[in-house]
Amino acid sequence: MNIVALIVSPLIALITGLFFLGLSRKISARIHWRYGPPVYQPFIDVMRAFSQKSITHGNFFDFGIILSLTGTIVLVLFLPIGGLWALNTGGLIMFLYLMLLGPFGIALSGAAAANPNSSIGISRNFLLALAYEVPLLLILLAVMTDYNTISLVEIVEKQAATGMAISSWRLVIPGIAYFLILPAILGLRPFEITGAVQEIASGPIAEFGGKHMAFYTLQHALQTFVGIALFVDIFLGGGTLFGLLNSLAGTVWVDILEIFIFLLKMVLVLFIGLFVNAVYPRFRIEQAMQYLWKWPTLIAFVGLVIVAIIN
Amino acid sequence: MDRNQISKWLKNPGKMAHKYSFHVVYFCTGCGIIEIPPSITTRWDAERFGIIPVATPRQANLFLITGYVSTKTLKAIIRTYEQMPEPKYTVAFGSCPINGGMYYDSYNTITSLDKYIPVDGYIAGCMPRPEAVFIGVTHLWKLIDMDKADGYKRYREDYVHYRANQEQLYGQMDWPPLFPVEKKEQANL
Repeated sequence: MNIVALIVSPLIALITGLFFLGLSRKISARIHWRYGPPVYQPFIDVMRAFSQKSITHGNFFDFGIILSLTGTIVLVLFLPIGGLWALNTGGLIMFLYLMLLGPFGIALSGAAAANPNSSIGISRNFLLALAYEVPLLLILLAVMTDYNTISLVEIVEKQAATGMAISSWRLVIPGIAYFLILPAILGLRPFEITGAVQEIASGPIAEFGGKHMAFYTLQHALQTFVGIALFVDIFLGGGTLFGLLNSLAGTVWVDILEIFIFLLKMVLVLFIGLFVNAVYPRFRIEQAMQYLWKWPTLIAFVGLVIVAIIN
Repeated sequence: MDRNQISKWLKNPGKMAHKYSFHVVYFCTGCGIIEIPPSITTRWDAERFGIIPVATPRQANLFLITGYVSTKTLKAIIRTYEQMPEPKYTVAFGSCPINGGMYYDSYNTITSLDKYIPVDGYIAGCMPRPEAVFIGVTHLWKLIDMDKADGYKRYREDYVHYRANQEQLYGQMDWPPLFPVEKKEQANL
């Protein structure tokens, strides 16, 4: 276990996640032909929320949001950020289990608030999770079968040797499937059904105020980071860039530059997600489930079959 | 960010963050709500100043009352105000909440809102244009800087008085008082 990575990687995830939230607000504003807020606006929002008094609705209300935040931080520890990872055990199976801890914690505290809007939001949240976990599992199975390992770190290392997974013809189909479910994982617009502000008063977080809201914003930032980082790690080769850094191998610069390349790749994926977010209206929950269980699942299944036959 | 504001940020980050991140809950009474969509969307873009509308009072720290307040809606306004977490600011919109405006002699319109909930600032006009709303926001910044936007503190200190005014209007109210009101009963004894 790497002590430095244990401290640094959640910090990087938090800061970049908050910047991503700000960037997404700025980009949407520019698409609307507005000037938009400064990129560091979410930091100000979090500071404001922490300085406000919050109202609690019982112990589970407090416990749920903390469970959600810690669950997501633990998730970040398993992610290789460039050449930086804290834990190398468990692998993708562990990752899939822990991924449900974030929504689960928020559902716990939303249920404790006993607001009808929260209840609707929670049911939508779990239905959506159920909908995108099926294609996600198929995609991860395809990747694990192809690389013959369940370890995220080994997957990234093998890609460093052979090039990005998405550029090899076997894994391009699961890559496309992952890209189709990415907005659902991030909660972006076609699948923005959990926290629909206009419909159900922002759903599970309807009763969150003050410090609870601040913790939720941090969790949301981390969740955004994890969703994109998983895609970059599995399909875009983590912090490697066509062997660009081979000449620097062995120096400390490689570690730093790999993190930067990793973040750049994440920004690229985020941009494409935001363009989709700006164009599409919101699905209803049954439309979202129909879509997620039809096209991405079908494509992921075809990809899995191809990979399984070749191996 | 202004460079000469950095010392202010270091001195009191909570206060500065309150200034630049208003999460607004709009109370759509009367005609004032017409001015809100242009001011938060493309034409005037309130998000430049960190102002965004939120869905529930729990997440908000600025309360805009946009237009005249009828006796019936005042009840909902009081409940919304009491649900917001402190520190919270109230801005009343247009001339109606100030003195009743053109409804000054109506039997079911509140003539001065400040008797029932504390108001930090008024934006005069019938109706104020979005530019006036933004000037109101900059004035609220100044008030926060000088610690004069203390409506929530006044509400806590003079809760007995405010609650008495509210009860004078509605008789028995169907929700418990936000702060303890024992002081008043002792005074009556």
